[in-house]
Amino acid sequence: MSIARWTRRTLLQRTAFAGVALAAALAVGPQPVAAQTLDKASVGVLALSSSGPIFIAKAKGYFEREGLDVTLSTFTSAQQVPVAVASGDVDFGVTGLTAGFYNLAAKGAITMIAAQSRDEPGFPLSAYVATNAAHAAGLAKPSDLKGKRIAITTVGSTFHYMIGILGQKYGFTVKDVTMVPLQDVPKMVAAFKGGQVDAILAPSTVARQLVADGAGQILGWAGDETPWQLGALFTGPKTIQTRRPVVEKFVRAYKTALAEYHAAFNVKDASGALVKGPGYDALLTIIADATKQKPEIVAAGLPYVDPNARLLIDDVVNQVRFWQSEGQVDKALDPKSILDLSFIGQ
Amino acid sequence: MRLLISDLTHRYDDLTVLDRIDLVLNEGEVLAVIGPSGCGKSTLLGIAGGIVAPSAGRVAVDGPVPDGCLNPITYVFQDFALLPWRSVEENVALVLAHHPLPAADRRARVEEGLRRMGLWEFRQALPKQLSGGMRQRVGIARALAVRPAILLLDEPLSALDAQTRELLMDDFLDLWRREKTTALYVTHNLDEALRLADRVVVLSRRPGRIREIVTIEEPRDRRLAPAAQAHLAEVRARLWHLMKAEAQMADREIARA
Amino acid sequence: MPDPINTPTSTQSTLQAVRFRGGGFHPRRHPWAALAAFALLIALWEGTSRVGLASPLFLPPPSAVGRALAGMIADGSLWLNLKASLLRIGVGWSLGTLGGLTVGLLMGVASVARAVGVPLVSAFFPIPKIALLPLFILWFGIGEASKFATIGFGVFFPTVIAVYSAIDSVPRNLIRMAQSFGLPWGAILRNILLPGALPGILAGFRITASIALILVVAAEMIGAEYGIGAFVLMAGNLMQTDTLLAGVMVMSALGLTIGALLSLLERRLLVWR
Repeated sequence: MSIARWTRRTLLQRTAFAGVALAAALAVGPQPVAAQTLDKASVGVLALSSSGPIFIAKAKGYFEREGLDVTLSTFTSAQQVPVAVASGDVDFGVTGLTAGFYNLAAKGAITMIAAQSRDEPGFPLSAYVATNAAHAAGLAKPSDLKGKRIAITTVGSTFHYMIGILGQKYGFTVKDVTMVPLQDVPKMVAAFKGGQVDAILAPSTVARQLVADGAGQILGWAGDETPWQLGALFTGPKTIQTRRPVVEKFVRAYKTALAEYHAAFNVKDASGALVKGPGYDALLTIIADATKQKPEIVAAGLPYVDPNARLLIDDVVNQVRFWQSEGQVDKALDPKSILDLSFIGQ
Repeated sequence: MRLLISDLTHRYDDLTVLDRIDLVLNEGEVLAVIGPSGCGKSTLLGIAGGIVAPSAGRVAVDGPVPDGCLNPITYVFQDFALLPWRSVEENVALVLAHHPLPAADRRARVEEGLRRMGLWEFRQALPKQLSGGMRQRVGIARALAVRPAILLLDEPLSALDAQTRELLMDDFLDLWRREKTTALYVTHNLDEALRLADRVVVLSRRPGRIREIVTIEEPRDRRLAPAAQAHLAEVRARLWHLMKAEAQMADREIARA
Repeated sequence: MPDPINTPTSTQSTLQAVRFRGGGFHPRRHPWAALAAFALLIALWEGTSRVGLASPLFLPPPSAVGRALAGMIADGSLWLNLKASLLRIGVGWSLGTLGGLTVGLLMGVASVARAVGVPLVSAFFPIPKIALLPLFILWFGIGEASKFATIGFGVFFPTVIAVYSAIDSVPRNLIRMAQSFGLPWGAILRNILLPGALPGILAGFRITASIALILVVAAEMIGAEYGIGAFVLMAGNLMQTDTLLAGVMVMSALGLTIGALLSLLERRLLVWR
């Protein structure tokens, strides 16, 4: 009995000591502000690796270092995040840009303040996948998608826009393809496997699974064909007005994590191949824990981020113009009016 | 046509409700069956008409089927058994539809039945619009339309109030005066038996056995006359004597159950 | 007889009127109350938006919803969407009802069919049809067939249950009566079982019509270009809340219309009740 007690006490002491040591190790740069003065803030995220920089900033204490106590709220669909920011349930959000997002922004409910991930050459995030039958019939490269039936999630989704810019590149419009909205990926996969469509746009894990199942062929990656601004960090205009210092602190912490993420995951060597940067394994573990995915799966689909959180402004303008031409976003919306890039100095 | 019931026994699981009944219903005779509740009167009638299968024993008819008779053994039900979604006329026509009859004959039978029961001007009415007495008259008109050889009446007046019961008894007497009717009339009401029957079969409580068959000497038409009262009182006393102990015991038995 | 109260013989001083203590507890019709409450609700709703208590994004005012609705009527999209959905509801409901009537009838009259059917129905009825959509896509494709199937399957099981319970509820004495008059089996089915089961079947229709309306939204998740469900889904995805509510209004109007038509049918067919 005495041995057991001794062991447990020692263990407790050691744990406590380790905690202090860890905190001390993390406390590089400016000293952490005393706990009672931390500003509270919340951020809405999806449990996807595209939210990786937020997970890193939280796990490595970058928010605390800026004097922020940040709570993460995890949502299950991209649509819910901007709605939660608009309703004031969370202060910040990071997620993909959709027509619904721009409609909320057009109503003055949200403002983009920094970039999230991009589709960038060499970063396989979303694939054009052809069924075996369509492939055999000559659908061999992304430009062949003109005139085909393509399954997407919903009208106004990122997939919808990806078909739009692919068309802009190869000289066709979305009217030249038949987009089949099926609401979610499982139904898209069902339609694909059932031969109901010629192709789908699919996230990398789904695309690779389809190829592994022998159900189709990957024609190419959206990042290679049409680099574009996938997502953004955004907040409510009221937060910018009334809590500007909190926004500044949040963006600073975010950028620190972003730079670290970029250095670890996005750097290529002279031959153009990705190399593991500093802290690769530790950061991968953080993202894998936060997304509840296996590290090897996370590693295969890590998106590109700009180290300075810069937005592809031209693409954002193009997105708004595209949705306006599709009749899904108010024609009166000026894309510049929904950006406030003063925090990242762009 | 006569109805013959021979050595009839009926059981529901291990409960014997009828025990070795022998009974003859003669042509032109109205035979009342009385007995306490649960003595198997209705079961007896069900077996006699072939809608309940007996556990043992035989039921037979004897004699030629009269001309124009479509359904030799025909029921009149306690709850009338009218289709609520059909008019009076259609309820009567229902039982003719499956017989190959000329359309005129079909119409004539419906009209005759309805006129006899004083229902002709109500032929378009739905059952819900009629009083209980009128509903039972529809039931009787329906039975008349098939010109039955034997009528099986299962407590036909039990669901009616006292005055309506009197009126319908008059209707029955009227009908049976005009043509000779062979009928088995099940009731628990002594007055009905005394007014309508030629003979009265008294059943014992469960298991139902025939205790006695009492003949009423007075002709049906004269039973309201003062001269008939002495005899009827005697029969009534006899029947009540037979029934009372049975009814009391049956009553207690049900209360215990 | 003289009026017993107003006569000199009665001692007026001890007379006491019997106090009325009945009344109440009797529902009376107030046809205008519902309308007035409805109008008040709409006015209140518009008011909160006008005053700025509610953001037009979260609760678009009735006027905005009305404008969206007017826009749908003006550009013809209302009719286009409604037509597509009505076709799906019509065909899907009819298929499900036809199948349900046949199987329910079989289960109502044949005890073997019932013994087989009841556990099967209990097993399949509670499955949310939305969960089966990927399977429906594999089986029936993404064309109209899978939409008919989604609605049809949803309608089928409650119809089966409604039909066989309705047949159970037909009084057995009517069947004995028919047998005692020698009616053949087919005539008993036609003249007694079916009309007797009609009230229960029509009550079932009321439920299955609502189910069809709910399921048309699920059905139109499967690659529908037009349809009121697809319209509502798209408005939701695009965060066009006024359009979303306009679509929802159209759906509830559709529900009310179907309900009113069924009431009319019931009044016509069930006058005998």
